[in-house]
Amino acid sequence: MAVTILIPAPLRRFTEDRASVQVEAKTVGEALAKLDELYPGIRERICEPDGRVRRFVSIFVNGKDIRSLQGVETPLADGDEVGIIPAMAGGR
Amino acid sequence: MIRIPREQYEAIVAHARQEAPREACGLLAGHGDRIEKVYPVPNRAELAVEFFAERGLIPPGRDYRPDAPGAIAVERFFMDPEEQFRALRAIEAAGLEHLGSYHSHPATEAYPSRTDIELAAFWPNMLLMICSLADPARPVVRAFRVVDGRVQEEDIVIEE
Ligand SMILES: [Zn+2]
Repeated sequence: MAVTILIPAPLRRFTEDRASVQVEAKTVGEALAKLDELYPGIRERICEPDGRVRRFVSIFVNGKDIRSLQGVETPLADGDEVGIIPAMAGGR
Repeated sequence: MIRIPREQYEAIVAHARQEAPREACGLLAGHGDRIEKVYPVPNRAELAVEFFAERGLIPPGRDYRPDAPGAIAVERFFMDPEEQFRALRAIEAAGLEHLGSYHSHPATEAYPSRTDIELAAFWPNMLLMICSLADPARPVVRAFRVVDGRVQEEDIVIEE
């Protein structure tokens, strides 16, 4: 199950500036673990120590937020695209 | 210094006016120091009250109850994550670079707030454009970068 993980600009310093990384994984959680094996330290930017996705980060599988799917248990199929995006927020 | 075509500059002001008194927000795309297209993104601040609260970014004494939807969006923005992701893909598909974001200050000056500065840390070195409607007849747009928590202003050149 080769899936593509899209790396947002702020996290590319972990991935030698790569905008996308291919890994073999059956779930989102497994894909993040594989990503962290390749680029140690990147996972803690995305997840809490207990594995939940941080509140200011959204993860998408083929454009759908995994909060509306099965979270990090969301299954992946060959060719799926996993997007990672930090929140963009502010105020007055 | 950044450059932006007149009609894209006007699109930011028009979006700010359309959303007021809520804050408007969106992404900036182009090449290098030139913004070529702005991408409006819906403001979902009302779904992110806890996000702001846990960072101490809710003013003391302010009560953003869940039964007052939109109340927080008068003073905060939080881009709809799915729409933000879609806009980023559209920017990439158009062959443009993601240069930064814009948002409005419906009633305050066009300068980054403490909230803006803290949350800019997720997106280092990105351009931050702010449109103030404090004087509704005379909107003010300014551009900044927040580098290591310090605000640097960028001059804006509007291309006719
Ligand atoms: Zn602001």
